[in-house]
Parts: sequence; C-alpha cells; structure tokens
Amino acid sequence: MSLALLYLAAFGAYVWHFATRKLLAGRVATGVLMLAVLVHTFVLGMYTMELGLPPMTGRTGAVSMFVWMLAVSYLSIEVSTDERGIGIFVTPLLLALQGLVAHGEMPTDVPSYFAAPFFAVHVGALLFAYASFALACVVGITYVLLFRELKRRTPGVFFQRLPSLQVLDRMNMRAVSIGWLLLTVGLVGGALWLRDVSAQMANDPRLPHMTITDPKILMAVLTWVVYGLLLATRRWAGLTARRAAWLSAVGFAIVLLNFLPVAYFFARSHNFA
Amino acid sequence: MHLVLVGLSHHTAPVEVRERIGISRSMVPAALDRLANDGCDDVVLLSTCNRTEVYAVAADTGAMGERIVGCLADYRGVSRDDIDAALYVRTDADAARHLFRVAAGLDSLVVGEPEILGQVKDAYKVASEERGTGSVINRLFHGAFAIGKRVRTDTGLAEGAVSLSYAARTLSRKIFGDLSSHHMVVFGAGEMARLCALHFHEHVASLTISTRRQDRGEALASEVNGRVTSWEDRLSALAAADILVSATGSPDLVLTGADMQRVLAARRGRPMFVVDLAVPRDIAPEVAAIEEVFLYNIDDLQGIVQENVARRQDAVAKAERLVNDEVAAWYAWLRSRAAIPTVVALRSRFERVRQAELDRLAPKIAGLGPDARARVDEITRLMVEKLLLTPTEQLKAIDDHETMDACSSALRRLFALDDDAAAAEADRADVAVESPAPR
Repeated sequence: MSLALLYLAAFGAYVWHFATRKLLAGRVATGVLMLAVLVHTFVLGMYTMELGLPPMTGRTGAVSMFVWMLAVSYLSIEVSTDERGIGIFVTPLLLALQGLVAHGEMPTDVPSYFAAPFFAVHVGALLFAYASFALACVVGITYVLLFRELKRRTPGVFFQRLPSLQVLDRMNMRAVSIGWLLLTVGLVGGALWLRDVSAQMANDPRLPHMTITDPKILMAVLTWVVYGLLLATRRWAGLTARRAAWLSAVGFAIVLLNFLPVAYFFARSHNFA
Repeated sequence: MHLVLVGLSHHTAPVEVRERIGISRSMVPAALDRLANDGCDDVVLLSTCNRTEVYAVAADTGAMGERIVGCLADYRGVSRDDIDAALYVRTDADAARHLFRVAAGLDSLVVGEPEILGQVKDAYKVASEERGTGSVINRLFHGAFAIGKRVRTDTGLAEGAVSLSYAARTLSRKIFGDLSSHHMVVFGAGEMARLCALHFHEHVASLTISTRRQDRGEALASEVNGRVTSWEDRLSALAAADILVSATGSPDLVLTGADMQRVLAARRGRPMFVVDLAVPRDIAPEVAAIEEVFLYNIDDLQGIVQENVARRQDAVAKAERLVNDEVAAWYAWLRSRAAIPTVVALRSRFERVRQAELDRLAPKIAGLGPDARARVDEITRLMVEKLLLTPTEQLKAIDDHETMDACSSALRRLFALDDDAAAAEADRADVAVESPAPR
C-alpha cells in the first residue's frame, strides 16, 4: 500500500511539473519517483532474501516486479535524456498496477523446479521485456498525440510539454528493441528451463500444456512476431514512425491481454499462483 | 486633403483571399499605373504575404476608397463580393496609426517581426520612384520609418522578437529535435527566403538554395554558407532534405502533391517539415495529407507564437504609446496643412496692403535716406508678421475639420481672400478712406 502511495505522490509531482513546467517541480517529481523505486527495490530485495530468488511467481509478485522494472526503465530514460514530459503518462500506469496488487499476497515459498538456472532468465527477461513494451506503448501514445497536434497545425499542450517527435521515436524504438531482445531471451530461457525440469515435472498436470498451442505461450510468440515485424519493417521497409508508435501500442495491448486475462482464464501451462 | 487607407490583412482575410488579391513586387509598378489611370495618383501600394494595402491622398475619402477597391478587384480579376467582407477603409489619423503600427511590427502576424519595416520602405521606394509621391505621403512614410526604428530600439520589442523564420525553426525543432544532422532546402532567394535561411543556416547540417534567379541564389548562398542548385534540380535536392522553406514570388505552385510523392518515395518514411511562406502559396495544399509531411503556411505559424506574443505585452504597450505620439504629431501636421491656403492668402492680402501703403507714402518719405526707408520697410513688414502670427498659429492648431472650415471661410470672407477684384477694390477703398482729399 505504501508503495502505491509513493507512486501516487510521484504522479502528483509529474502533474505539477506538466502543468507548471517549473524546474523545481520536475526535480521533485524525479526525486519522489526515485524514492519510490528505492523503497520498492528494498521491498523486493527483502522478499528475494527470504525466498532465495526474486518474487516473480504469482500474480502479486510478478506485477510488483513488472512495476519496479517499468519504473527503473523509465527513470533510466529520463535521467539519460533529461526529458520529463512523459512522466505524467508513465506514473499512472505504475500507480494503477501497483494499486491492483497492493493488498495481494506475495509468494512465501517456491517449488524446487523454480530454482533451476533458466527460470530466473525466463521470468526476469520476460518481465523486463514487458516493462520495456509498456514504456514503448506510453512513449508511442505521446508520439501520436504530439504528431496529431503538429499534423493538424494546432500546437497546444503536448507541443509545449513533450520532447521532439524524433526523441520520442528514438525512445520508442529503443524500448521496443530492448523489449524484443529480452522477449527472445525470455522465450528461449523458458524452452531451456522446460528441457531441464521436464523430468522433475513428469507428474505435473501443467507439463502437457507447455506447448505452442497453449494460449499464453501462443500469445507470447505472437507478441514476439508483432514486435519483430515492427522492428524489421521499420528498418528495412520504411515503416513510418507514427505507424511504429501505433504498432508498439497494439503490441502492448497483446502483452496486457496475455499478462492478465489469458493467464488467468485460458492458460493451463502457467497457472502458478 | 485627407489620407485614405484601403486594404485587407491576415486579421481580416484568410490566405485563400490574400493570395488572390496580393500583388507581387514585380507587378507593383503596373498596379500603380492602373491606380493612377483610375484617378489615384498619389498612392503607395504595400503588398506582402500578410497584407495588401493602398495608402492614398484624396479630397473625398469615400469616393477614393471606392475607386481603389474597384481598381484592385479589376486588376486582380476578383469579384467585389469575394473581398468586401475582408476589406477595411481608414482615414487620416486612423490610417496613419495603422501604418505606424504596421511599420512597428505591432500589426504583424508575429508581433515585432522585423521584415515588415523593410517591406514598408520598399513599397514607398517603388511608389516614389515609379510615380512620385506628394508631401502628405512623404511625411507619413518617413514618420512610419522613424517609428518603426524607434519602437525596435526603445521598447525592446525586437529583442527576443520572433519572426516567421523563428516560428518555423521552433516547429522544426519540435519535429527533429537537434537540427545539426538535418538538411535544409530553400526555394526562392527573396527577402523572406533570405531571412529564413539566415535563421537556420547555423543550426542545420547543410543548406541548399534553389531559385530561378541563379545570381540571387548565389548571393544568398554565399551569405549563409550554402550551395545553389538549379531550379530544375530542386526535387533532387529536396529528396535529401528534411526541411523545406518555400518563399518564391511565383504566381503558380512550385511543388505539387505528385512532386512530393516522388520525392518521398526515396526517403523511406522519413518525415519532412515544409514551410510555405509564399502568397500565393508555393506548395499544393494536398501535400499536407501525406503522412510524413508536416506542411505549414504562414497562417499556420500564428499558433506557435502566441506564447511569445503574451510575453511581450509590456513592450507592446510601450510601442503603442510611441505610435500614438507619432500619430498625434503627424495629424497635427496634416491639420495645419489644411490652414495653409488660407494663411498664404491672408499673408498675401496683408502684404498687398503694406505695399500699397508704402507706395502711397512714397512721396512723403522720398526725402529720407536709403537706411531710413529700409527701416520703414522693415518696421511695416514686422508689424504685419506680428499681426499675423497669432491667427496663423491659432488656425493651424484647430483640431477638427468643421471648425477649420468655418474659420477659414470667415477669414476668406472678411478679408475677401477668394476674390482678387474685391480685394483690389477693398485696397483702393482703404487707401481712399485713409488718404485726405488733395487740396
């Protein structure tokens, strides 16, 4: 709960900065978000020490790890570009997701096969990939908003507050590239983990479903295809930045679909919660 | 005489109307001839991207206004119905205030922009060289140049003043961020193109100028460290560029939608920022529909600068005060000119009386020496001067036309200024009354 409050405070500070464009407001916003991330790191670190591996299993743990990774990704971009204009769009997502699991139970123990080497690679890389895609989605939406103002020749609030289209495009493509790379690593890591633990899980009812036909795995592969197409067409087929921005938002919609409803209602291979 | 202004500007007319009535610099002499043929022979025609205005001197302001509007509409082949709603007509002090505000940059699309003063000077120069201008127009425009300069130096309106070029650069930065890796092409080498090139050249990777006038292109290229490409090769140059500023004087489009599609085919989706500063427009409006192209014409730039305009309200208030002072001085001068015929006639009448008296007394002072006679001449002349000084000043200071007309009429009637025969009779009667009959 306290983490959600910290993210709420960060959101408030970014709203203040967005409205006033004061340097002080921007520094306060960055400071509050850094504090939230530090506290979040401490909390996750405590769970990691307790469990022996990061608390990535179960809905609460996975979502909380996802929020932390998204916050870290955003902060790294903000610090490296000195652009705070999109903080107002990222922090509500952090707040909403952290608020969603504020009263959830963190995992208290993990099955032995989770200790296999490729498990952390699989889950960690995928969570980081999804965080990158979330960031790309937010940046893509801001790109579209600014693009629309510029295209309609009515520069307004986004024109005044957001960085240039080129900076947003670069942020978007960087986030998508990193996300796609981590998604690849995560998928390969998952396959390798399955190879290593299939003997241990011989009697596990989830094992027969760990194939490409499982909705969750199928959606993950579809996500990989969508983002892969985005990167390929942008690089080799002249996909415009605006279409890339839209596509990154569509890609993240698939991620969200996979992360929440598909995982709970359709997947039979990943119901570890 | 009165000053009349007839015109339309970006405040009253959209670019579609302005480009139809606008007159390019090369067409101004012919337009002045046309106005002269229609009876408007003491005029200045100011036609820029944002305004087309005619300043004229006339006795009947209403008739002159109608004549100018009719002439402009005929000359440009535009229906009166299409422009009537956008036209404004101003006279005397209001017209002068308008011109002074224009010259000061207060009426510009981008308040404080420096280009307009040069354009006002150019319009006056063309008019005075082509057809000559009278004293009212001369005094008016020299007043405008003075106030234009003074506003820029005394109010700080020019400091930090944005121009169309600056607004264009702000926009390009919002699209591309750092411009140092981006290439720019400028179509045209006129004043607007030059100012834009000057504004950008230190910030972009390269600047290419394409114009029909190779000599002017080369002069501009040397000024901005750019290079010149022939007008025929402009599309090739554009394919490698990210920013295009077009400001030619062409009456036709210089870049169509099909041209732009061909250019973009080689660019693999890279965006292009296109600024069309020309009126009539150089770039086909349908280019705006192409996804990768951000097309702005001069009307579109207004939104970019509103924040800057707000920041300059203090400077604007100071500039308005200076303009008002200048208008008051000019209008006082114009009013005083209305009294001139009466004052001249009055002085002439008094001088005739003085000379008649000296002639009548000539035999009586014949015994005086040359010095004494010269002193008598001087004393009588000074008496006339002193007697006329106060009424002359009072007459010039009258600030409304009705009172001026009434006082002038009274003076002309009392002193028979309009009737030479009556004046001569009065002179003889004066002499008869004052002269004793010879014994």
